[in-house]
Amino acid sequence: MSRYLARKIVIYLLTFFVAVTIDWAIPRLMPGDPVSGLISRLQTDPTAAQEMHGYFTESFGLDQPLWKQYLNFWLGLAHGDLGPSIAYVGSSVSELIWAALPYTLALLVPAILLSYIAGNRIGAMAARRKVLDNTVLPVSYVLTATPYMWLALVLAYVLAFRWQIFPVSGAYDFSLQPEWTWEFARSFLSHWFLPFLTLFLVSFGGWAIGMRNLIIYELEADYANYLQALGAPNKLVRKYAYRNAVLPQMSGLALALGVVVGGALVTEIVFGYPGIGSLIITAIQNRDYFLLQGIFLFIIVGVLIANFIVDIAYVIVDPRTRTGLLGS
Amino acid sequence: MASRKKRRVGSLAVGALVVTVGAAAALLAGGAGAGPQSTAAVPRGDTLYTSGKQWGPYTNFNPLKPDYNTGVVGLVYETLFRYDPLKDRFLPWLASGGKWVGRNKYVVTMRLGVKWSDGKSLTPADVKFTFETQKYKGAQYGTMWKTGLQRITLSGRTVTFHFKGTPNYQEWDSNRYTVPIVARHIFKGYSAKEIVSGNASNTKKIVGTGPFRYGGGAGGSQTLQWVRRDGWWATKTYGMTMPMRYIVDIHNTSNTASLQNFLQSKIDLSNNFFPGIDKHVGGKIRTYYSKAPYMLAANTAWLVPNTTKKPLNDVAFRRALAESININRIVTADYQHIVSKANPTGLLPTWSKWIDQAQVKKLGFSYSISRAKARLSSNGYRDRNGDGFVEDKDGSSINLRLIVPKGWSDWETAIQIIADSAKDAGIKITPAYPDFNGLVEERNTGKFELAINNEKQIGNTPYTYYDYLFRLPILEQQTVSNFQRFTSARSWALTQQLNKIQSSSVKKAKKVHSQIQKVILQQLPAIPLWYNGMWAQYNTSVWTNFPSSTGNQATPSTWNGYINMTGIDALAKLKKK
Repeated sequence: MSRYLARKIVIYLLTFFVAVTIDWAIPRLMPGDPVSGLISRLQTDPTAAQEMHGYFTESFGLDQPLWKQYLNFWLGLAHGDLGPSIAYVGSSVSELIWAALPYTLALLVPAILLSYIAGNRIGAMAARRKVLDNTVLPVSYVLTATPYMWLALVLAYVLAFRWQIFPVSGAYDFSLQPEWTWEFARSFLSHWFLPFLTLFLVSFGGWAIGMRNLIIYELEADYANYLQALGAPNKLVRKYAYRNAVLPQMSGLALALGVVVGGALVTEIVFGYPGIGSLIITAIQNRDYFLLQGIFLFIIVGVLIANFIVDIAYVIVDPRTRTGLLGS
Repeated sequence: MASRKKRRVGSLAVGALVVTVGAAAALLAGGAGAGPQSTAAVPRGDTLYTSGKQWGPYTNFNPLKPDYNTGVVGLVYETLFRYDPLKDRFLPWLASGGKWVGRNKYVVTMRLGVKWSDGKSLTPADVKFTFETQKYKGAQYGTMWKTGLQRITLSGRTVTFHFKGTPNYQEWDSNRYTVPIVARHIFKGYSAKEIVSGNASNTKKIVGTGPFRYGGGAGGSQTLQWVRRDGWWATKTYGMTMPMRYIVDIHNTSNTASLQNFLQSKIDLSNNFFPGIDKHVGGKIRTYYSKAPYMLAANTAWLVPNTTKKPLNDVAFRRALAESININRIVTADYQHIVSKANPTGLLPTWSKWIDQAQVKKLGFSYSISRAKARLSSNGYRDRNGDGFVEDKDGSSINLRLIVPKGWSDWETAIQIIADSAKDAGIKITPAYPDFNGLVEERNTGKFELAINNEKQIGNTPYTYYDYLFRLPILEQQTVSNFQRFTSARSWALTQQLNKIQSSSVKKAKKVHSQIQKVILQQLPAIPLWYNGMWAQYNTSVWTNFPSSTGNQATPSTWNGYINMTGIDALAKLKKK
């Protein structure tokens, strides 16, 4: 077990190093100088503009050679410092990300977990049940093929703008400030629902189709036939099939995380949800190297951690792996 | 066994879920800007909701850094004077008066009885301190110290600014109403770096002289809340009171989301750009003018030609290009009349007293395809290969790239109209849409050919426009002015000459204005197209008596720099429905 873990950790560290290096390089490949953009937005007077250009270039450390910037980046990272934001001069990247992260997590985690659980359950039920299969399958195909942004727009238009059941945008009512009150919690939930539903529905479709196909496959496997031949009840056979089918789905979860995170970013933008997605757009538009790096770093770390958790969970769920690892 | 495992996985998932939502809620409630004074929901009837200014998070509470949060200057920090662009007059504000004594001393008399929100009195020393911070490297208003301001002295209630030689009067006038006065006892605790580029975001230290104090919201929060404070000096002096207890500014995510909230009466004053708003005007939705152009003009959109590139270096070609553009079509088809065509000098309507109209009539360009064609032909630009487009004098083909930032949809449409319209005269223009920073790079380094730009805003003097058009020397990077790299020593000398004339010397100033405008009209260093609006639409479900051309005439904007014009009057005159 410990060798397995050690090997995994080394692989994760290596992945982290490469991903972070790419993360550092990519923003710098975009055309355009972030400081000029900043000065342009500050609308300062011409004499001050020249001076500010030098001042900001220096204070962001962009006057240093690239290798030194790269080194500084790792040094900063080691101290937990993600650098200053260029788009929002004066704020640190960590400060901006911490402000936005709770919103994104509150959307992502429930959407991923609930869609996974519900998708797998419904998919498993649909397999080999004609009526259910004929409804769940086409609906799931449509859902999984729907772009996040499009579904978000449709939900926002119908449920928020036309019928006005849910609010159009934001994370809580404009009359409130975040605090521990029922009023805020109620408002937060009603604003949270549509973006959550978007993420949930699209992911749900994928899981349901996957599970339905896997169950059918498993039910045709030799062990299932054998069990049936022994006269085991259908319920028991399906239970075993489910346990086997869940394994590839779990690997799928690790692979799908990146896509869901991407989807969450787009969904946030449609609903004006003040999470990482909205932040990333500003960072890109303003060539904010540090902010972009910081956000991607969070996404990298988040996806790696989630993958790691899935790896561990795999061991827990699959007795064969566990037995293999224990060497018995 | 199996079902127990499954239950274990299930409960693991539910546990993770609860932890995440709980942690997110804790972070939200604790970190993302719960203000110390924030209480339950603000009552709708006591709250003015605004939007359209804030596109980034509410991080910057530093009035001396120009991208400050909505209302920081105007609602909290105030200026010595205000400027009313609609009536062209300065209004004494924290200063009770100010005048030039001799040629190069400007003496400000401070108002008595003004108190900071922490109870301390505003003193002349605060003013001296504020202006002296602008000596720091990179400071926003630093130009005054480099172009004549030498020292500041205090005596009783007066603050005297000493200049060397003839002061830059026009620039100084801008400083009078744009430099926000900060409390010395608070800001002396900040380093030079913090003052120039910091956020001064400790909410306990947001201490101003204005009618509002900090209420809640900061960083990534989606609103910023200001709460009316008692004891605002202007109540006693001018009888001004703020009818709303709260001003809640809403962070913009997109103009579409803002429009939906606005139409659902969740926003009272929106300074967003809403294409097609003309169709909603009437009933509860109002604008400054009840018909076209609906909005006041805030700035001029110019077609900026790179005058270092062929054939844009030829004034005859620039003029033909100007004549080939059907600006009316942009106004009608693209903007549905919510903007209006610019004067050929490019000067805003509020500066009409400085425009030499007779000269404009004589020298100004106007749309005429036939005239453009004739001009091109007589200057050697002919279609030699029969492709419908003229070639340069040496026979080489012309294909001008016209750029606007990606996603600025009204401008994207505008340049398509320009390209279509220039085509009729035989000028080939290809529209292109690089993203904002890419565009800035091309523009600042002089790699571009044609661009649209509107960066100079309404203000007290057209001097800022002339500076924008003619400033010399041309540097490797042109960051805020003379993007077209137009080199005319005479024009720049005239601009500087104007800077040293007081606006009160109307006759003298007018003469120079007229000379400068002659250059604009004849040389077309940039081609003025239309006036971009001071976008402002009002939803009158809760508040009424918003600024209008027929009633309360004031700048209806929460954009930075507008509350310290007459935006504060606009707010004070609102009435509860």
